[in-house]
Amino acid sequence: MGLLNFTREPLPEAVSADMHNLNQLSAQQFSALTEVLFRFLTEPKEVERFLTQLSDFATMNKISLGPLKNIVKSILLVPNGALKRNLSSEQVRADFIALGLSEEKASYFAEQWKVNSPTLTRLAVGQTLMINQLIDMEWKFGVTAGSSELEKVGSIFLQLKLVIKKGSQLENVYVELTLPQFYSFLHEMERVKTSLESFS
Amino acid sequence: MAALRDGDLVALQLLLKAPSKDAVRQLCQECFSSPPAALGPLAQRACPGLAVSAEEAEQLVSALHNLTRHVVFRGLTRAEDILCLFPENFHQNLKNLLTKIILENISAWRNEAQASQISLPRLVDMDWRVDIKTSSDSIVRMAVPTCLLQLKIQEDAALCGNNPVVSALTMELSKETLDTMLEGLGRIRDQLSAVANK
Repeated sequence: MGLLNFTREPLPEAVSADMHNLNQLSAQQFSALTEVLFRFLTEPKEVERFLTQLSDFATMNKISLGPLKNIVKSILLVPNGALKRNLSSEQVRADFIALGLSEEKASYFAEQWKVNSPTLTRLAVGQTLMINQLIDMEWKFGVTAGSSELEKVGSIFLQLKLVIKKGSQLENVYVELTLPQFYSFLHEMERVKTSLESFS
Repeated sequence: MAALRDGDLVALQLLLKAPSKDAVRQLCQECFSSPPAALGPLAQRACPGLAVSAEEAEQLVSALHNLTRHVVFRGLTRAEDILCLFPENFHQNLKNLLTKIILENISAWRNEAQASQISLPRLVDMDWRVDIKTSSDSIVRMAVPTCLLQLKIQEDAALCGNNPVVSALTMELSKETLDTMLEGLGRIRDQLSAVANK
């Protein structure tokens, strides 16, 4: 086996055998299986649904679930590695062929990869570490009518509630701003937006 | 907040013993700024300069505190309104001097009162930085811009006394989050303009 694009590590022994088994599937069966796989990849939280669909596939095509799961594990190695390394569909196709999958099936899978990769890339970027991510912002503003020191005030205040994700917990931060501070804050945030846009 | 009481008026006359007009001015400022709890120590400090007994110093300091705070509370800005607080037979020069001093300081005192008002933690500073994420364990190569925003927040001044606690909160915003935030801030600005134009 030549150098693979999607990984530099040695592959488990079972992969060759799994690819060989895959080749036994008809084009239709392979297409159905691929659809189940990509649906899972684009919605990785839907584990239950994925397992149910695999089980249905196994029953409908008279394949045992155990071996099917192993095959699926082997197949998934490729898109996971490809996502990490931003591989093109040609590279994905080449890798599958190198692993022993038929040209026809490899091309088909690569085609599906091309279609789904923007969504998958966005998902992977979204999983990248964020420090104290700002999740939500609530605000209210009003007028201070009076206080214990000043009978009549009439000044405007702005209150922000920022919801921050610290690790796995959410923390609420409350801040009060004066009007000049608000305008200054708004101005700075617009500058940030310009900066981010110039780098996108 | 009660207007001047008889005891206060008597105590204020002790100012006639003050060494100079500046001493009176200084004392007025200190009495206004001091919270009620700190008036005792203030009286003790003022005592020697005024040649009055400890008890008299306390009464004087308390009277000045009440007078200045009352004026600020009511938002009195005209000399006539302040002069009205004193009875007819009150020492003329002292009355005029106190009114003059109060008028000089009234807007600074008003700002001071507003600044020490109770509030949620206040924003004191903000800084930002834009980073480009180039790699992570989920994607080996990427170029994703992200914003780091640091807010310096000061806890309620009244709770901290002279040592305000300032905490720094650093948070990360993706481009999408920033866009949403700007949308919200824009809406606030529009509403503020609508209120201002009414």
